[in-house]
Amino acid sequence: MIHAVKYHPTLELLEQYIEASLAPQVSLAIAAHLDLCPHCQRMKMDLEAEAGAALLSLPEAQTAETDWQQMLDFITAQPEVAVKAEQRQPFTLHIQNSEILLPASLKPLLQTKLKWFNLGGISTAKLAGEDQHNVSLLYIRKDSEVPQHTHLGLEITLVLKGKIYDESGCYGEGDLLINTPDHTHTPRTKSEDCLCLSVLTAPLKFKKGLTRLLNPLQHLFY
Amino acid sequence: MLDPTSVQRHDDRNYQRPDIQGSMSIQPPDNAQWEQALTFIAADRDKKAYSQLFSYFAPRLKAFGLKMFGNEQQAMEMVQDTMLNVWQKARLFDASRGCASTWIFTIARNVRFDMLRKKQSRKDELSADDLFFDGDYPEQEGTDSNEWDLWLLAEKVAPHFAKLPPAQRDVMEKVYLEEKSHQEVSEELAIPLGTVKSRIRLALDRLREAIDDPRS
Ligand SMILES: [Zn+2]
Repeated sequence: MIHAVKYHPTLELLEQYIEASLAPQVSLAIAAHLDLCPHCQRMKMDLEAEAGAALLSLPEAQTAETDWQQMLDFITAQPEVAVKAEQRQPFTLHIQNSEILLPASLKPLLQTKLKWFNLGGISTAKLAGEDQHNVSLLYIRKDSEVPQHTHLGLEITLVLKGKIYDESGCYGEGDLLINTPDHTHTPRTKSEDCLCLSVLTAPLKFKKGLTRLLNPLQHLFY
Repeated sequence: MLDPTSVQRHDDRNYQRPDIQGSMSIQPPDNAQWEQALTFIAADRDKKAYSQLFSYFAPRLKAFGLKMFGNEQQAMEMVQDTMLNVWQKARLFDASRGCASTWIFTIARNVRFDMLRKKQSRKDELSADDLFFDGDYPEQEGTDSNEWDLWLLAEKVAPHFAKLPPAQRDVMEKVYLEEKSHQEVSEELAIPLGTVKSRIRLALDRLREAIDDPRS
């Protein structure tokens, strides 16, 4: 069933995504959202088209003609490689006694058996993590409440299945939520189980005074 | 609403994002020429077509790389890997999906991502090809609507209209104020029809965000 996605990444976040400037784990959450959201798929293509047009109009950077020629000769001496266009299909995974359809972006992270940790109505399984950038699945049984928790960085949640509620609304399949540390909220489920992708990012570092001035929300991160 | 600029960057550097919007008003050279070149390369490994494409794109990719990496060596590595991909994978280019310049940009972006990843010596469980999917998504029911067009009639949009990037504003003015068809605007501004449509979508999204923003 297609659920109309209500919560999207901002256009600015998509712009950073399409130029690969976000932390890879954040990009993963965006990529999985794109799998579920035709609206943002189109925005991605539009932004890439604009970035391509900008590339066409960039002034040339100087390099010695001989260096270019050398690079050109090297490249054209390389053999063609066999390539075929990729297909992008969602896939199913057996999670907590049910078959769940998941976005294709998550597939590379789900090649090994998941290790679930259970706590009350909530189970988590870590998919990837490094530098405190944690990617995990969160399975919340119906009528459960996620205990209040703190984190120093951002918390990104993508709803993959079911619905989750908090003080400000109801989030369904495909909805992407980004919470800063000072958003205290108590997400809970009602009559159905809910599966989410959760990305926790490292505390943000602001090294320079200038960055502080440029970013009015910076104080949120201390 | 969260300020997305506060999300930690992959490359951990402060650089100026390329001024995509600002440069849009300059008319890019004919993309059709490069589409044709890619077709020749895919069909016959046409070195002459490739060498023309190389002369045009390599120095521009280098400028892009300098902006993104801030150093010559990595910029040149990005150029070489990108242009090598263009040579070896020209068959993957599909003109029905987008312009030649769009395709080349996405390759450069993926090369850049994988370079940063390699520098941090990460396992490649998160690779550019997975994170930046470039093929067709499975068909889904359209969830888009033109309801936002109606907002343009509302006064609350007006103050944000002026803040649109110039290229998007030009298109929007012609379509919504002068009531021209997309085709007419395409001919008048000498830009492809697809570009007219995509600028309208981007502008509508920008306006929608501006209106949604509680600070405004
Ligand atoms: Zn979306």
